[in-house]
Amino acid sequence: MGLVIQKQKLIQVLLIFCLAWLGLVKGMASEVTGVELIKNFCLDCHDGETRKGEVDLEAALNAKPLVKNLDLWKTVINRVENGDMPPKKNDQPSSSKKKDLLKWLNHEVVQFDYSSIDNPGYEQARRLTHIEFSNTLRDLLGLDLNLVADFPIDLSGKSGFDNSANTLFLQPILMERYLSAIDKAVEAVLPLKKNPSENSPVFVVWPSEKGEEPKAASKIINRFLLRAFRRPPTEREINQVWSVYNRSREKKESFAMGMRHAFGAALVSPAFLLKSERTKKTNESYQVDEYEIASRLSYFLWASMPDDELFQLASEKRLAKPKVLAQQVSRMLADSKSETLGSVFAAQWLGFDALGVRVRLDPIDNPWCTDTLMAAMKQESAMGFTSLIRKNKPLSELIQSKTTFVNEELAKFYKLKGVKGDEMRLVAHTDKRRYGLFGQASVLAITSSPYRTSPIRRGEWILDSLLGTPPPPPPSDAGELDEDIEENRKLTFRQKLEMHSKNPRCYSCHREMDPLGFSLENYDWFGRWRSKSRGRSIDSKGRLPSGTEFEGPIGLRKVIVGEKLDDLARQVTRKMLSYALGRQLEYYDVPAVRKILAAFKGDNYRIQTLLSEICSSYPFNFRKNPEFGELVDSKSL
Amino acid sequence: MTKSWQLSRRSMLRALGASVALPWLEAMQPISPLAVTPKRPKLRAGYIYFPNGVSKGSWEPEKVGRKGELRELSKWMKDLEPFKNDILIGHNIWTPRGNGHGAGTATWLTGGSYSGSRVSAGGTSVDQIIARHVGKDTMLPSLDMSMRGEGYFSNSLPRNSISWVNSKLPATRDTNPRTIYDRMFRKASEGVTDKGVIDLVHDQAKSLKRRVGLADQRKIDEYIEALRAVERRMEFAENQAFKTALSKGERIAFNRPSVEIPDNHEVYMRTMMDLMVLGFWSGATRVGSLMLDHGQSNRYFDFIDGVRGTWHALSHYRDISGKTEDDDGINSWKNVAQKRDMYNAVTAWHHRQFAYMIGKMKGIDEGNGTLLDNTLLLYGSSLGDGHAHGEENLPIIFAGGGGGTVRSGRYLKYRRNYSLSKYHLATMQRMGVPVEEFADADSPMSGLTKNV
Repeated sequence: MGLVIQKQKLIQVLLIFCLAWLGLVKGMASEVTGVELIKNFCLDCHDGETRKGEVDLEAALNAKPLVKNLDLWKTVINRVENGDMPPKKNDQPSSSKKKDLLKWLNHEVVQFDYSSIDNPGYEQARRLTHIEFSNTLRDLLGLDLNLVADFPIDLSGKSGFDNSANTLFLQPILMERYLSAIDKAVEAVLPLKKNPSENSPVFVVWPSEKGEEPKAASKIINRFLLRAFRRPPTEREINQVWSVYNRSREKKESFAMGMRHAFGAALVSPAFLLKSERTKKTNESYQVDEYEIASRLSYFLWASMPDDELFQLASEKRLAKPKVLAQQVSRMLADSKSETLGSVFAAQWLGFDALGVRVRLDPIDNPWCTDTLMAAMKQESAMGFTSLIRKNKPLSELIQSKTTFVNEELAKFYKLKGVKGDEMRLVAHTDKRRYGLFGQASVLAITSSPYRTSPIRRGEWILDSLLGTPPPPPPSDAGELDEDIEENRKLTFRQKLEMHSKNPRCYSCHREMDPLGFSLENYDWFGRWRSKSRGRSIDSKGRLPSGTEFEGPIGLRKVIVGEKLDDLARQVTRKMLSYALGRQLEYYDVPAVRKILAAFKGDNYRIQTLLSEICSSYPFNFRKNPEFGELVDSKSL
Repeated sequence: MTKSWQLSRRSMLRALGASVALPWLEAMQPISPLAVTPKRPKLRAGYIYFPNGVSKGSWEPEKVGRKGELRELSKWMKDLEPFKNDILIGHNIWTPRGNGHGAGTATWLTGGSYSGSRVSAGGTSVDQIIARHVGKDTMLPSLDMSMRGEGYFSNSLPRNSISWVNSKLPATRDTNPRTIYDRMFRKASEGVTDKGVIDLVHDQAKSLKRRVGLADQRKIDEYIEALRAVERRMEFAENQAFKTALSKGERIAFNRPSVEIPDNHEVYMRTMMDLMVLGFWSGATRVGSLMLDHGQSNRYFDFIDGVRGTWHALSHYRDISGKTEDDDGINSWKNVAQKRDMYNAVTAWHHRQFAYMIGKMKGIDEGNGTLLDNTLLLYGSSLGDGHAHGEENLPIIFAGGGGGTVRSGRYLKYRRNYSLSKYHLATMQRMGVPVEEFADADSPMSGLTKNV
């Protein structure tokens, strides 16, 4: 019997082995063909030398797995499928070769098996953003000093949030601003003529006579360094700062003056100004240490440093325990500091941070458009988002919440009655059309041109920023089409859309983008309701490619919640994870995104689940040192 | 110091215009003793960028002599007419690897190609290369300035970055006249962050470098470099000659610029230009750049008679409907000519400011020629015809005598596209940078001295 079973097993094993081998050979054969086809039909123009259209497929072919350049390869698939590439005037692959190529690319790119990947990524050292710097000083010193107003603005590239290391530069001009801000901060926290404030988080002791000074100094410095560096200081670091204190005292300067020097030294230190993590020398992925988790949590949820409770848990090595971590996330979200999830994360994700900065009107011609109004508009959206989180609402509430936050000025702007005073407060909308995000003036204004709406921009904002399903790049011969459009610039948008419909390749994107934008046409370029535009009545009806017909903001809300909620959830997951990690997402983050998303969906998209899943996710708790090639240039394309 | 170095306060006031509050030292001796030697004033290099291109036909001179001599400039350049013998007007100059509002701005001085996803300008910009070579002898290696941006794109990385310390690190630009002035002429901070503290944190940075991974070291180096620059400036400020010059309050004829940026755009721009002139004259720096706006400026120039609409909208002068994505919806135009004239008026306004600047430089005698004679200035844009987003025939002016190495006063009418990189190479070589090639250029621009 045993023998028979064994024989059967053997046959099974052999069979599996043969199949695997066949598969391997087949895979190899198709890989060879795929690479050959790209070499023959694409690399004439898209090699590393010519890089036509800035597309270097030679480098992309060498970057394995191909999903490293997911967007690029998706574009390749799209172009080849549509027959845009290779260009008509060049040699064309036979239809069977084309099929082979697409099959191989689909296998490598679209159907790529991510389960084979184990890489939590790497949070690069970076300076604090201006907001983080300001908040960290506030929490460190217990003083709210606005010291970053004259800092050179943080510039943003295409690479995600402002906390992304690759756009956080530290140049001499900023360093000088740091130094003068630090001087001011230290002077504020250590007045020379009186004792510091009793509630100061810095001075747990204060010497009442000379004899107590050394002991007090040591206590104060040790605590200050731990909090400023967001980790226990090394002995050397303590000694260095101590020496600065001593030098001052030897010059007969006062205790407070000595402390000022010590604090100054701590705050100029890279351990304070930069956010960095200790690297272990290994090729494997490893868990980040407890203090680093505390910082990851606090900079994600508060855009600031950890508090004493987080430091305490880190010192006891309890923070990484799943239960404790979950408790801390809830506690932190309940804290008022978590408002940065609205005012920083949501503002940058949805783009309303531009209001009053990039989007602002000439105050002489538009006296109604005050700085306070624009601030209230931004706050409305920020507080709305934070409140969804605090109340653990389902994500759909972002789109259809019946309540919002206004003050008197904003209420007047919305024609809401009975709100008095400058303070923002929770109110229930009386007008159904204003429910949710699409009724908020902030996002309506930032998706308009000054003085006029742009349905295309609004449509694109919905597809790209909000849902993360951007329309594909314009077809390769868009230049010619552009000229047609150019000549027809005097047409109305509706007419333009109809013109697009004559060209199926324009139409395929615009028929999705434009109706979404048109449904908001009743909101003018600053978000005020109107029933007419330049004397013509407004047509806010639309029809999606799926066939759904809808009208106005109420219709749009139904479409998003009914048909696009999964897209919205995927987008907020990707964006929030990227913000939490302070880096762009990479191909190896796909498994984590999928896992978070599954749990999020499983809880009916209740938003705290998203946050707790991110905080317990693999990339949030682990890191892996980049390979040398990635070091030189993390994106070779 | 020779007598010719001494200038009366009155002549200096005249040269800079007393209306703009700026510091001038009565003795008129170079502030930094290292900056200028009486015999041969050292060359300076300046880069003045404006966005949005110019309209076709508004750049070419009206009359040109047989050997290319500039006889009469375009009517839109009439403010530059008094300086036509101090400039070269380019034709068919371009940047082959990148142009336009974003990529063109970012690569105007690098000659490279821009990548948004990698945040790379394809190389170090010419001003930063020069700064690396000659900047060690000056208070500031380079002066990187911008007019504060407005509207969309005012925090766009490529549109705000013409200077690159390396291909991935844009030099942060200062927009505040007060802080620029202070960095050149005030002693460094006297607070708790003194030299001793800075020495100490240098050491901390080094140990931090051991603690983090290879991938992080670039960021730590950035920190160390920034700190070193501040340290250097402190040392310069400690320099005795410098201290004497500044501490005698009665010698300072001009005040520090105010903390607030001036509301009046012209006053603001001229203050920034004065600061560059001042930096060059005093020897505080030998290389500077000034962006007159970000690369896709949509600023209103309503303060110019008859102009309405934003600059970028005006640059698309063939669209007169007022209904394109670029328009503001309140302005439209009767015909193309009307809109083009407004566009040209905005460009001409900028030419006037540039004329002001070179006028100032020409008014400063350095003993061996004027400051303008001892400078190489590049003034221009990264777009050709603004409406067409033209990548060829960029509006470019070369001004200044380059210490006797430039034959000014000519129209450089290249028959074929001619790379701006060759000018960058020529400038570097004149500034004493030992280079043989730059970006796509393997030889320097010969047109600076020869007919083309």
